[in-house]
Amino acid sequence: MLASCFFSPPAHALSAPEYEVKAAFLYNFAKFIEWPPGTFHDENSPINLCLTDGSSFRGALEAIQGKTVKGRKIAIRTAGTDGTAACQILFIPSSDMTQVGEILDSVKSRGILTVGEEKGFAQLGGIISFVLIGNKISFEINIDAAKRSGLEISSQLLKLAIIVRDKP
Amino acid sequence: MRLLRMWYCKRKLSVFSPSALIVVTFLFFAMASVSSAGIQVQTREDTNKLTELSLEELMNVEVVSASKTAEKISETSAAIFVITQDDIRRSGVTSIPEALRMVPGMEVARIDANKWAISARGFNDRFANKLLVLIDGRSVYSPFFSGVFWDAQDTMLEDIDRIEVIRGPGSALWGANAVNGVINIITKNAKETQGGLVTTGFGSEERGFGGVRYGGKIGPAGYYRIYGKYFDRDAYANSQDHNANDGWSSFRSGFRADFGSSRQSSMTLQGDVYSGSADQSIEISSPTPPYQDLVNAETVTSGGNIMASWKHSFSNTSQMKIQSYFDRTERKDILAREDRNTFDVDLQHSFSLNERQKCIWGLGYRVTGDDIRNSYTLGVDPSSRVDNLYSAFIQDEISLIPKILRQTVGLKFEHNDYTGFEVQPTVRLLWTPDTKNTIWAAISRAVRTPSRVESDGIGNNTIVSPGLQGSGDQLAVVKFIGNDTLSSEKLIAYELGYRVQPSRNLFFDLALFYNRYDEIIATTSGTPYAALLPGMPVLVFPYVAANNVSGQSHGLELAADWSVSDWWRLQFAYTYLVMQLDSGDDNPYWEYQAKTGTSPEHQVSLRSGMNLGHNLQLDLWLRYVDGLKRIEVDRYMTMDLRLSWKPEKNVEFAIVGQNLFNPNHYEFGEDISLPTKVQRGVYGKVTWQF
Repeated sequence: MLASCFFSPPAHALSAPEYEVKAAFLYNFAKFIEWPPGTFHDENSPINLCLTDGSSFRGALEAIQGKTVKGRKIAIRTAGTDGTAACQILFIPSSDMTQVGEILDSVKSRGILTVGEEKGFAQLGGIISFVLIGNKISFEINIDAAKRSGLEISSQLLKLAIIVRDKP
Repeated sequence: MRLLRMWYCKRKLSVFSPSALIVVTFLFFAMASVSSAGIQVQTREDTNKLTELSLEELMNVEVVSASKTAEKISETSAAIFVITQDDIRRSGVTSIPEALRMVPGMEVARIDANKWAISARGFNDRFANKLLVLIDGRSVYSPFFSGVFWDAQDTMLEDIDRIEVIRGPGSALWGANAVNGVINIITKNAKETQGGLVTTGFGSEERGFGGVRYGGKIGPAGYYRIYGKYFDRDAYANSQDHNANDGWSSFRSGFRADFGSSRQSSMTLQGDVYSGSADQSIEISSPTPPYQDLVNAETVTSGGNIMASWKHSFSNTSQMKIQSYFDRTERKDILAREDRNTFDVDLQHSFSLNERQKCIWGLGYRVTGDDIRNSYTLGVDPSSRVDNLYSAFIQDEISLIPKILRQTVGLKFEHNDYTGFEVQPTVRLLWTPDTKNTIWAAISRAVRTPSRVESDGIGNNTIVSPGLQGSGDQLAVVKFIGNDTLSSEKLIAYELGYRVQPSRNLFFDLALFYNRYDEIIATTSGTPYAALLPGMPVLVFPYVAANNVSGQSHGLELAADWSVSDWWRLQFAYTYLVMQLDSGDDNPYWEYQAKTGTSPEHQVSLRSGMNLGHNLQLDLWLRYVDGLKRIEVDRYMTMDLRLSWKPEKNVEFAIVGQNLFNPNHYEFGEDISLPTKVQRGVYGKVTWQF
């Protein structure tokens, strides 16, 4: 069955731990989002990336801490104690889904990019939700939720996403 | 097959206290409330490279996530544990048997430098016969004595994707002899082992070892790899703490080719050849003087196998797999010589009957032929035999309540040349009340077919005892006689399991079981009679194989997995086992042959994996194994330690210390050969990928 075979140099598939890839995605999302006027105090204010849950994701996020997006540095914060008022991006991991309904409701029109990874996060009102397709990461964008939030999402990001709408 | 036991009573005083064990277990659970301090993550450099990728490139990155394994475990209504490649690498083990120690419910005892006694849920013995072992679907279970010759099973450890260990009967799917468990060693697809890999090292017990593997492409959708490996292991210590003459060396080479892995059809072709030699001290008997002798003997093993499998997806809901292999083994031992050829062909089809039912059915045929050269101590009659095995199975998975309650019903029919027709049914239930909890229950029936030796064997063990009052030596022969009318051993197993994931980084897996055994094969004593060896009158004590033992066992297995922080992970395994077997006969040797008392009551394994900064990884593995009362092996506690450093992405240096707590310790008693003491050792290894 193996007729003539030719042997070509091997191709290396890039593989990495899940949380590190998601951290890189978050960094990229920030590049394609415009926050509503008045979100930032001044031109040096950081982009606050808040985590609801401390442990698992924090380590991977440290790699994007301090990176610059459109002149602003990314700062990692915890949403719990400080509340969500100062957040520009709010990441809700799978382990923290118990109060997701209330959280999404309380931030929905305040210019906060809500990102989750649990199945159904976008349908619940989250703006971006990570999905695993096979063993590669993709993402859903709920355009209704995005509109409500006042954020402007670049078409470059939208065209790569799986578009989702609110549950009727 | 043991004929007569002689106990070596050399005890090594163990200098540890059971309270240490309690402290370790307590610390593990007490630390649940401590939050982690931040230590620089080793992964920072890698994540930096990821942030340089565009969104499109990021969407092409293959994610390595434990959730795939976790998903598989949570949906299985059986006591399953998956040893990942990472587990294998970080544990520092140099062989498959050693990796099995981390699995709850498994008993792994190193008899000497080249032999293990491995079983699940009891009946441990070098020739433990209630565990089915497969490598990529090829059975490595030997029908000669119904067990696994672990010294002939190996592969390049870096090429193992995972080892799935299912404790409990896997017979409805895997067939007879998967009575107490199934071990499935699964190697990586050739697509995942591209490029070159060289690994080499040396140490005090691992005298020298090396392996080379290279993988490349074949055409547009094909991948291959070829490998070669070699190792030379030092002897352990004997009862006088001298070199025990049980070293071994082995060479192995093989290949794997995968075609069309991401399409509707895929095909795999793989094969290995190997050759090895292992030493031991072994008791042999002869009909002429000196009648009984302890000799140093070499076992030479060699063989090869080739396997082809084809998978095809007819639709999203219908897949078929056909697999066929040929396996040849040659084993030259002072006790017996075995040449065996096996050919097997298997077909499996899984499909969705409707939206609530998923069915799998299959057919199989296996033929195995052997050629044995007997010795006085052990032989079989007929010395050459061809056996056919026909099998068919069906399994139906029914969603009683979608996503909440699932029932599985399975049945396997087999016809073999020892006991005829065998039926092995199983009923299982899986209940997932929410995303964090899973409860499963199962009732199954499993059988173990008699081995070649139990059915056709003849063994002689001559015992010389000094004569009374200077009348000269008395000679006795304990004679083992096989029985070809034996039935298969039977098991009815009742199992219950509970899995809970209270948070994303904490996972518990509990399994309970109660096993009722019947018709276990041991021996029944016959009337002694007088016979004549050349020039010597002798008294013969015959023991005939019989299904005369029954009993029960029950136990508990707990696995826990805790990511304390993103740089520190703890994995814990606890095993508890109680066995009670009775023989109808008043036979002084049934106990030993029924193998109760060769399994420890408690076992603990605790692994700690830390990703320190600067590309350093530190792994500790603490193990405690209870004593084996009947064969007088002391309990022991020991630790392995591995420190590795990856100065660059494709080079890794590792230094591994093994069995660090005691200079040496016994793990098992005598079987046919003398056990030796497992020694403390250290080795260094470098792995280079290009």
